[in-house]
Amino acid sequence: MTHSLVAANILSRPTRTLISILAVGTGVILMLIIGGITTGTLNDYLNRTMSVGADFILQPSGSTVFYAFSSAALPIKLADKLRETPGVGAVAPVLAKFSSADFGLVFGIDLATYDQFPGRLEILEGRNSLQGNEVIVDDLYAMSHKVSPGMTVEILGRKFTISAICRRGSVVRVFVPLPTLQQMNGTEDKVTIMFIKAAPGADVESVFRELHRAYPGLALVRTTDPSVLLADTRMPGLKEFRLTVVTVSMLISFMVILLAMYTTIFERTREIGILKSMGASKAFIVGLILRESVIISLLGIAFGVGASLIIRKLITTAFPTLQVDMTFVEVLRGSLLGLLGGTLGALYPAYKAARMDPVQALSYE
Amino acid sequence: MGEGLRGSIETTGLTMIYRSGKVEVPAIREINLTVGPGEFVAIMGPSGCGKSTLLHLLGGLVRPTRGQVLIDGIDIAKLSDAERTAVRREKVGYIFQRFNLLPNISARANIELAKRIHGNGHANLYKDDHILALLGIKEKIGFRPTELSGGEQQRVAIARAVINQPSILLADEPTGNLDSHNSRLVLTLLQDLNQRLGQTIVMITHDSEAASMANHVIEMRDGRILARTHHFVYEPEFEGLF
Ligand SMILES: Nc1ncnc2c1ncn2[C@@H]1O[C@H](COP(=O)(O)OP(=O)(O)OP(=O)(O)O)[C@@H](O)[C@H]1O
Ligand SMILES: [Mg+2]
Repeated sequence: MTHSLVAANILSRPTRTLISILAVGTGVILMLIIGGITTGTLNDYLNRTMSVGADFILQPSGSTVFYAFSSAALPIKLADKLRETPGVGAVAPVLAKFSSADFGLVFGIDLATYDQFPGRLEILEGRNSLQGNEVIVDDLYAMSHKVSPGMTVEILGRKFTISAICRRGSVVRVFVPLPTLQQMNGTEDKVTIMFIKAAPGADVESVFRELHRAYPGLALVRTTDPSVLLADTRMPGLKEFRLTVVTVSMLISFMVILLAMYTTIFERTREIGILKSMGASKAFIVGLILRESVIISLLGIAFGVGASLIIRKLITTAFPTLQVDMTFVEVLRGSLLGLLGGTLGALYPAYKAARMDPVQALSYE
Repeated sequence: MGEGLRGSIETTGLTMIYRSGKVEVPAIREINLTVGPGEFVAIMGPSGCGKSTLLHLLGGLVRPTRGQVLIDGIDIAKLSDAERTAVRREKVGYIFQRFNLLPNISARANIELAKRIHGNGHANLYKDDHILALLGIKEKIGFRPTELSGGEQQRVAIARAVINQPSILLADEPTGNLDSHNSRLVLTLLQDLNQRLGQTIVMITHDSEAASMANHVIEMRDGRILARTHHFVYEPEFEGLF
């Protein structure tokens, strides 16, 4: 049976087969994990931003989706002017700062204005107060850092005392007083973004148009639903980044299978000659090589998907605040792309094998 | 594909010239050869006289430089690669000096592969059994080629070549790597297949005893046929072997 021939060929070089499987798997892991972290971070950002319950975000134009990489460029005085705009209900100026130690954002907020939003901090433990050296962290942060109200934590290189623990699901996990963060940052009267809420009864769309007209130099993003937010926000290079990851992953499968099958057919030149002497058609020989590479690719994909699930578990255990999104569709897409890469890699060797001269192949040593 | 004629071979003006760089090597020169259905023909001649090349041409493994190769009336020299392959698959079984079994799979898998290639993977089970018994390899069918003796390997190779009942068997020094006992066994098998199943056999050999098993012996020199001699085939000593 040709099944047993394909199987025997795969087993005849166990090391090469294993390396090919590992390589195809590595491509799949790259695709799933890097893709998963990207989507996870993005979705996390979207959900958290939505959770504030603002209608708009005002940012300096040219800001990216991740506040972390935007500088503090909005004057704080702008908040008062915004509040005077007809239809505007609440404005919360925020200074965002990325803390690499916690791998997350720290928000400098004014609790009074922030509490005017639906997504205000829900205090689980401690006093609802944010002044001077006080900090409010969410329960996940408290859990992973094993801290409780009254204890001291170091944030962005400065000691803070925990005044309260809030429920997770807020826009960030760490909140400090806006003036304190401004001072630490050396930007006393500047903020990164403004959360804006339309006044009760006001038409959100007309408020949007009004603000847009009033501040043409600033980026106004609607946060009424995630797709609008995603579409309105600038994500420089995200598409290109994803494409690069997918291309690199596929190239790994492609090149490894190409090389493995290429050496395979030269090693088996005589056998190909024998098959031809037996009347095997070109299609039959192409089929043999393709089936072999498909089996290797499938084993590689199975390994890659399994390993990705384990890696995701390890990542989220080590970094509970990091989100790795791996939906069935993404796993399926990663698998199909890995298979496609492997199959494309086998095409040239298969073509080469099918074209071999039978007599020369038979006399090959 | 000419069901009426079974296993007839006819070449006219068959010429094969190899080119390596500017040098032309004429391996086969204007050969006119007729082998009728059911005939057993031996080809003899010194090394390099073109015997193997002729056999490759007869089975359509290569296309001649000039001339015709009629297999059951079809000129395979005119056919495309794919068409020649189809004729070979349908009508020709090859047997080699080096056995040429696929090394990684069992004897059974080798034989089944031939059926698979031919496209009758599930047919003729009864006949297979008969052929395996005839060749005396039923017990060793699960073994890999490396686990078989040369004689056994060649018998598996014969089984593989005849399993699809081709009308023509082309054997290139089938006993060249065998001791005298196994040579006799293989030759007797070929003779038996020729007599029982009526397969046309063209066999290259350096051994005149082997050649004496055939109906005719063709002498080759320098890519030409020198002579064709007729033998009476009656070898009582092998009777009763099966
Ligand atoms: N692919 C090739 N390219 C060039 N010359 C070849 C090729 N194959 C065979 N020849 C030449 O053709 C001639 C006939 O070769 P062939 O193999 O048919 O001889 P042979 O009679 O089978 O010899 P032997 O008894 O040694 O097997 C030789 O001179 C050989 O060198
Ligand atoms: Mg030869």
